[in-house]
Amino acid sequence: MRLSDSVAVLRPRSHWEAMDFGVLLARRHAGLLMLAWALPALPLLALLGLLFPESPGWALLIFWWLKPLGERLPLFVLSRVLFGETPRLGECLRALPGLLRAEWLTSLTRRRFSPTRSFDLPVLLLEGLTGKELQQRRAVLAANRGKRGAGWLTLVGLHLELALWLGLLAFLYMLLPPQAGIEFDWLRLLEGPPRERLWLEHLTNGLYALVLMVWEPLYVACGFGLYLNRRVNLEAWDLEMAFQRLRRRLGGVAGVLLLAAGLLLAQLPGPALAQPPVPQASPPLGRQAARADIRTLLGQPPFRQREEIIRWRLGDPPLATDGGSRTAVPADLVQRLARTLEALLWLAVGAGALVLAWRYRDWLAAFAGRRAPGTRRTPAAAPGRSTPRPASPVPPSDIAAEAERLWNDAPGQALALLYRGLLERLREDYRLPLNEADTEGDILRRVRRLERDDLQHLAETLTRHWRNFAYGGHPPPADQKDGLLAAWRAQFGGGSTA
Amino acid sequence: MPAPLAKPSADTFRQPLLDTRHLVETPEGIDLVLHPAGLVPRALAFAVDLTIRGTILLLAFLALGPFGELGMGLASLLFFLVTWWYMVLFEVLNQGCTPGKQLLGLQVVHDDGTPVGWAASLTRNLLRVVDLLPFGYTLGILSCLAHPTFKRLGDLAAGTLVIYRERPQPRPSLPEIDAQPLPFAPQADERRALLAFAERQAGLSAGRRRELAGILAGPLRVPEEQAEARLLGIARELMGPP
Repeated sequence: MRLSDSVAVLRPRSHWEAMDFGVLLARRHAGLLMLAWALPALPLLALLGLLFPESPGWALLIFWWLKPLGERLPLFVLSRVLFGETPRLGECLRALPGLLRAEWLTSLTRRRFSPTRSFDLPVLLLEGLTGKELQQRRAVLAANRGKRGAGWLTLVGLHLELALWLGLLAFLYMLLPPQAGIEFDWLRLLEGPPRERLWLEHLTNGLYALVLMVWEPLYVACGFGLYLNRRVNLEAWDLEMAFQRLRRRLGGVAGVLLLAAGLLLAQLPGPALAQPPVPQASPPLGRQAARADIRTLLGQPPFRQREEIIRWRLGDPPLATDGGSRTAVPADLVQRLARTLEALLWLAVGAGALVLAWRYRDWLAAFAGRRAPGTRRTPAAAPGRSTPRPASPVPPSDIAAEAERLWNDAPGQALALLYRGLLERLREDYRLPLNEADTEGDILRRVRRLERDDLQHLAETLTRHWRNFAYGGHPPPADQKDGLLAAWRAQFGGGSTA
Repeated sequence: MPAPLAKPSADTFRQPLLDTRHLVETPEGIDLVLHPAGLVPRALAFAVDLTIRGTILLLAFLALGPFGELGMGLASLLFFLVTWWYMVLFEVLNQGCTPGKQLLGLQVVHDDGTPVGWAASLTRNLLRVVDLLPFGYTLGILSCLAHPTFKRLGDLAAGTLVIYRERPQPRPSLPEIDAQPLPFAPQADERRALLAFAERQAGLSAGRRRELAGILAGPLRVPEEQAEARLLGIARELMGPP
């Protein structure tokens, strides 16, 4: 064993970390370790099953009792793997008889229920001691709580096996389709299986072996990790490696120079040490003074913030008065309490909803808002130069009548009124998405897309006259008045709220 | 015969050294060392938490029993709180430690070592439902055993890590001895080793101490018997005056 061959960083760890180290080590060689456990164990279980076909429980008990023997081969593999020589399966199996012989009776009887089994096994197998020496060695390693964690490992392992086993069973049960018609009478399971269900018991035994195949190598590895950590601690393996490295470094090319320097140093009387030490001559720079300086500096603002916080808090809790009420709580008190609590809970729900609504108010307005049916937005200003505006921004109720009235005095006003009315109706009745940037041409194009001939005709006529008036200053010809108004009335009826 | 040639398998040397540390590099180029915690302490911490929660619920049911329907209502509220929020509240408000984790010296952090937040803690604790499947945390156990930093499925989803909390170390005491000058310029890890030799003196047997110091007797140019005292003197020098 050469420490520098180790495939892992060996340094003192806490006992929990030592177990984690074991898990990592086992993880790297999981396949080999599982095989090393399963190759002796699974045939054994099969043999036991054949020997006790009628009582699978006995087979399981014997198999479980022999478990410590199965832990030896994985440990052998781990101890080789740590120093970089991965054994092949054949080597492992050849080593097996020798491994099984050591203290086999004790480990199956007196030490079978030792909670620190995982820690004791490496001492037995890897150090090759027997008798009194083995006892002493165990005592040395166990001194000063050296076996800390091993008991916890076994306890956790026990439950872990159970959890994984039940998990596997539950998994299989979940795979059964309901159509399969297999219904378990759970109570009858307790009584013991009938003869035709014996195969199920044997299957369960096999599943336990499967669980052990995963967990046993890890259990051994955790124990090995604990053992290794103990030895690293006791023998300072990490320091040994560091010192070896240092020696190699110093022993290299620089060695000669160092040798010369060392000789020089050894010859010189060390003048700085022979004279009275300088620091004492100037006390303000002394270590104590510096430390005091540092402490005062650290106590000052940039390093320490002092804050005074004044806030309300609940006063002293009222003396418990429910000493007597525990036995007989008055019904009305309970009722009142319940009602108060209910109100408080509803208040909390309401407040929560309000907070949510307020938090997402923009989102609500953008995506969930609906215009109330009665309110109309004021229409956007008519496009184009809108010098001739209708007299009032609110359109009159009967646009056609108003336009007729205005036509003789101010035909422009009448046209403007009609055009605005048209836009309004397009928005309200046909839901055309008009906006301020639309020109008359845009609006006509949208109207055409509606594919309503009479509306389109009206809109085109009206737009033409409106343009002529607004941009060209030509008043609408008088003979167009009746046709236009008739078309308007035919299209939109009399009142504006059709 | 190719088999014996292949024996010192090349891949074992190429693999990085196995260690239980998890390094997180900060933008400043500093390596933060985290120590991920494995299955055994985590299972124990969970057992402690389970016991605490069970006790709370049992006491609450006993105390609320006489209140009839009101009591049942409050109890179910409490049940919800204890089942779903116990872990989250403790983890977020108590620096990643539930009482069980505190007892075992564990702590939940994000993968990058920052304190665990609401989202991550909720994710990792809600996903316990998945880890529980099919029975008794089977998936969680298997995932924890198979992952290099011991994460269960919830940890994988939330990007969290359970680590050992840093505990303040007691100041080591060096043996009283006169400082001696260094005959060479040590590198950082060598300094650490020299100091550790002096600090761990008490835990080592006398024979082992002599053996270790003997390794450096040659380079230090002292007889093997004096190597130990020399090393202690050097450590004292590295430590600085008391």
